[in-house]
Parts: sequence; C-alpha cells; structure tokens
Amino acid sequence: MIKELFKSAIISLGANKTRTFLTMLGIIIGVFAVVTLISIGQGIQNFVTDRFSNLGSNLIFVAPGKLDLRGDPGANYLTNKLDEKHFKLVETYSSDYIQYLTPMMEIGKSLTYKNKTYYSVVQATNEEGNLAYNVELVSGKFFEKSDVSARNKVVVLGSEVAREFFPNQEALGNNIKIEDKVFTVIGVVREKGGQLDSRVYIPYTTAKRLFNIDKFSALVMKARSPEIVESAIKSVKNSLLRDLEETEFTVLSQKEILDSFTSILANITIGIGAIAAISLLVGGIGIMNIMLVTVTERTREIGLRKAVGATPNNIALQFMVEATSLSVIGGLIGTFLGILVAFIIKTYFNFNAEVPLWSVILAFSFSFAVGVIFGTYPAIKASKKDPIEALRYE
Amino acid sequence: MKKVPLLKLQDITKKYLVGNQEIKALNGVSLEIFEGDFVSIVGKSGSGKSTLMHIIGLLDTPTTGKVILNNKDVSKLDEESLASIRNKEIGFVFQAFNLLSRATVLENVILPLQYSTIPKNLWEKKALEMISLVDLTERVSNKSNELSGGQKQRVAIARALVNSPSIILADEPTGNLDSKTGAEIIKKFIELNRLGKTIILVTHDMELAKITEKRFVLKDGEVVS
Repeated sequence: MIKELFKSAIISLGANKTRTFLTMLGIIIGVFAVVTLISIGQGIQNFVTDRFSNLGSNLIFVAPGKLDLRGDPGANYLTNKLDEKHFKLVETYSSDYIQYLTPMMEIGKSLTYKNKTYYSVVQATNEEGNLAYNVELVSGKFFEKSDVSARNKVVVLGSEVAREFFPNQEALGNNIKIEDKVFTVIGVVREKGGQLDSRVYIPYTTAKRLFNIDKFSALVMKARSPEIVESAIKSVKNSLLRDLEETEFTVLSQKEILDSFTSILANITIGIGAIAAISLLVGGIGIMNIMLVTVTERTREIGLRKAVGATPNNIALQFMVEATSLSVIGGLIGTFLGILVAFIIKTYFNFNAEVPLWSVILAFSFSFAVGVIFGTYPAIKASKKDPIEALRYE
Repeated sequence: MKKVPLLKLQDITKKYLVGNQEIKALNGVSLEIFEGDFVSIVGKSGSGKSTLMHIIGLLDTPTTGKVILNNKDVSKLDEESLASIRNKEIGFVFQAFNLLSRATVLENVILPLQYSTIPKNLWEKKALEMISLVDLTERVSNKSNELSGGQKQRVAIARALVNSPSIILADEPTGNLDSKTGAEIIKKFIELNRLGKTIILVTHDMELAKITEKRFVLKDGEVVS
C-alpha cells in the first residue's frame, strides 16, 4: 500500500515540477544550511582541538585581565600589566611545579626579503618557546638562551614563510627584514599545516628592544606532570598575586581553555542550527500551503477514490505520504548539497569541515517531521471531503 | 421459492436543510433489484434521481428507510464500513469518466484494487482481464488523457468491473459522448448484462432507458412508474 501511495505521490509531484521544486526549496535551503553550518562548526572545533593537541599537554596559560572567554578578550589587553617582572615572579616562586616557562608576544608585522613581502604574525618568546609551541625544526636550530640574553636579531621561519622567500635555496644564514630591522635566519620549522606555518619566531628581548613592546600577551608553561597541574595553577596564582590584583590576570589550564572553547562552539553550533531550523519551519509552511492547494485541485480525485472504496484514513495517508515525500526529497537534496559544500571546503580551502553522521540524521529527521507536521492539516482536510460534493467539484 | 432481491430499498426518504428550509429529495421510495437485472432510474433534473443514485451507491445514507444489500441492512453503517462495501459491491461509471489523467489505463483500472483485500500479485492480471473485456488491451500503457471519450468511458467500465462488484451503477454514462460512441457504450453494458452483471443505469433520457428491461421513473422524489 505504502509503495502505491509513494508511487502516486511521485506521479502527482512530477506533474508540476516547477511548483514541486519551489515548494521543496525552503526545505532544501534549511537542511543545506543546517548540514553546512554544523560541518563548519565541527571543522572549527577540530581545528581548535588539533591546535591544542599540537601544543603538547599539561600546559598552563596566564592571560592578562579577568578572562572568562565569554567577554571581549581584546579589552583585557588595553589594561595589560603582564610583563617581565611577572615572568620572573613565576620563574622564582613556582619553579618546583614547572618544567619550562615561556613568555608570549604576538605582533603582526611585514617581513621582506629582497623584493618579496610577507605579512606574518611574529611570535616573540624565549629559548623554550619551541617546547611550548611544539616547534620541530627541519633545518638549523631554535634560538638559545644566549640569543635571548644578548637580544640577538635572529629569526626562525615558519615553513610557508621559508617557502615564500627561499623557494629554491637554503634559508639559513640569509638576512630578512621585519619592518626595517634586519634579522638572520637561524632555523626553519617543519610544516604542520594551518596558520602556524606562516609564523616566525624571534627572542622576546629583541622584540622589546626593537619594537618597543614590553607587555606579554600571555605566559605559557608546562607543569611537571598531569597530577600537579592544579597545584601548579595555585602556585602560579600566588606568585603573581605578589604584584598583581586578582582581577589583573587569569590562570587557565589547557583543559579549561579547550573545554570552554568546545562549550562556546557547541552553543554557537546550536544557535546556528536553531536559525537554520527557522528556514525549515518556513519551508514547512510552504509545503502546507501547496498541499492545501493540491487538495482543492484534486477534489474530484478524492471523490473518485472514496467512491471506489478509499476510507478517510486511506485519503489522509495518501496526502501525508505526498507531503512527507516532498519534504524528505527536499531534505535529501539539502543534505547532499551540504555534504558537497563541506567536501569542497575541505578539499579547496584546507579547512577540516566535517559532516558528522548525527547532523545528517538530525536534518533528515527534521525534514521528515516537517512533512508529517505540515502535511497533517491538508491530509485531514482531504480525508473529510464529502464524496458526493467532491465528485461534483468543477 | 421466492427470489431474494440483491438490493432492496424500503420506504426511503432523504431530507436536506437548505438555509432554514427543509427539502425532501426522496419521499418513500421503495424498489427491488435482482441479480442479473438491467434497470434504469429515469427522471428529469430535480426529480431526486441523483440522490437515489448516491444512496444506492452508498455514498449517502437515507434520512429514514432501509437499504438492504445482499440481505444486509447497510443504511446506518459508518463511513469506513460503507467505503469497504462500496469497494466490494459497487462499480461506478460516471458521466465525466473521472479517470486519473496522469495515470495509465492499467493504473486507473487497478485503483479500486488498491483499497481491496485482493492480494497485490493478482492486481495486474485482474485489471488486464477487464481491459481486454472492454477491448483496450493495446492502450494499456497509455495515459488516460491520451484517450478518446469513448475509450475513457471503457476504461471507467473496466475499473467498475475489476473488483467483480454485485452492481454496476452507471450515472449518465453516455452524457459526454457523441451518439455513435454512446451507442457502443450501451452495447457494452448489454453485453455485460448478458454475462450476468447487474446494471443500474441512471439517466434523464427516457429513450435510452427503454433499452433496459425494468425502469423506475422518478418525479418529485417519488417512484411514479
């Protein structure tokens, strides 16, 4: 019976292709939006998780201001008090808990080599920055303590910068300019994929001297073991409280940051999903509208079917199957387009957009539900038609 | 032994409310139709013949009186039961054919079987037998909107026959056809009656009614002869 109903639904939907397509469009767009946006959200989540796992484990971050990851993080940098003194305080009073400690300054600068220019984020850190950023070198070496203390003008290039400036030659030993200051290349980082490849690393002491910066955007350190992360956080807090107020800094573990990001992203994904669901709702209203028109147009057919033995339930089911076919086919097209776009983003934009199975099931269930919900009223209306009146309908 | 009627109407009345006014469309109609009969219900417009046809076809129920079909009182059944009896016992042929225009001849003839208890694997065979009976085998895959008026009515006859109903109820079956094609359709009904089918022809045309062996003439909601 269902097979016959489905066949009959396809015949009647096929009879008016343009109208069918336009009716489906709301569902197609809604499902496409849900699948695509969820895949992008998932991609961002993957990206953040990868970035953090690349950094290594047991990391602790000190950021300026009171950071709760929900406010405006930029505001904290305007009143940033985090500097060398605090670095020394942590180094002095929390060294028992900490395997290494490194300051972090991120400055957007233009790099030049001969006539080539490259805009990059300059990462100013100390000799242990390679550990904090999990930097692996393909040639040369990371800068040493002596480079940091002597404020040497040395630079380690990200793989993409090296490829850009020195496509066919050895980068080591060459001089490049960061703004108008000359730096000697002493190392090239192994390619990892992503933004880190376009960064360059210089000693933070050199950055302070040449670029007139003395505040850190963060301190990054590694606890000696996973078990002591909590105690290490406490100790770092106490060390910093010797000079700073509690509201002037935030100490966060890697896990806390990752959890917060994941939770924010999950909320954003849900929010985006809800917006996309509105378009499904609008699509559903479109389906109901067209189904009501269809019921009126096919009044005689309803009368005939009743005359030859269809019960009101048979008629209701027929129109329900038709409305549901309309929304489910729309849902399948939308899902297919969503997967296609995620694939294109993944392939051509080097961004790991991923369509999780649950989003496909969600979109499909939603489009099915839309068909059932918005098909019910027209179906009931059709089933209640008086066969005599229906057979007379012109 | 007394013959039992296939269909018996006992003192049927049908009243409608139009605004505040009560209209009596049928007034004490009684009649008996036996298996194998070819009868006509004749009357002018407004005589009540359509109302009577709807009651005989179980599309409507009487206000008072009894409809007894195959020895069973069907006058007070609910919509679901009436639909099931219509499917098994009544085959409709309409003036306007009422075919599904986008469906093929075969699909149109199969339609009543979709609502029956007949197993699906027999549907096509049964439908093809009926299509052959109305000489349309070569048009079986055509869409019904590709057929002539006469062919459409023959498809409707095949559809009416496919469930082997007790009664074929034909409402002005030649009304939309030219006289030659109309005559062919009537010839087909005569043939079917000879094969034992019970046929009720509803018409306003007294001449046409003369071909049937029994006639019920309706006037102002009553059988007058």
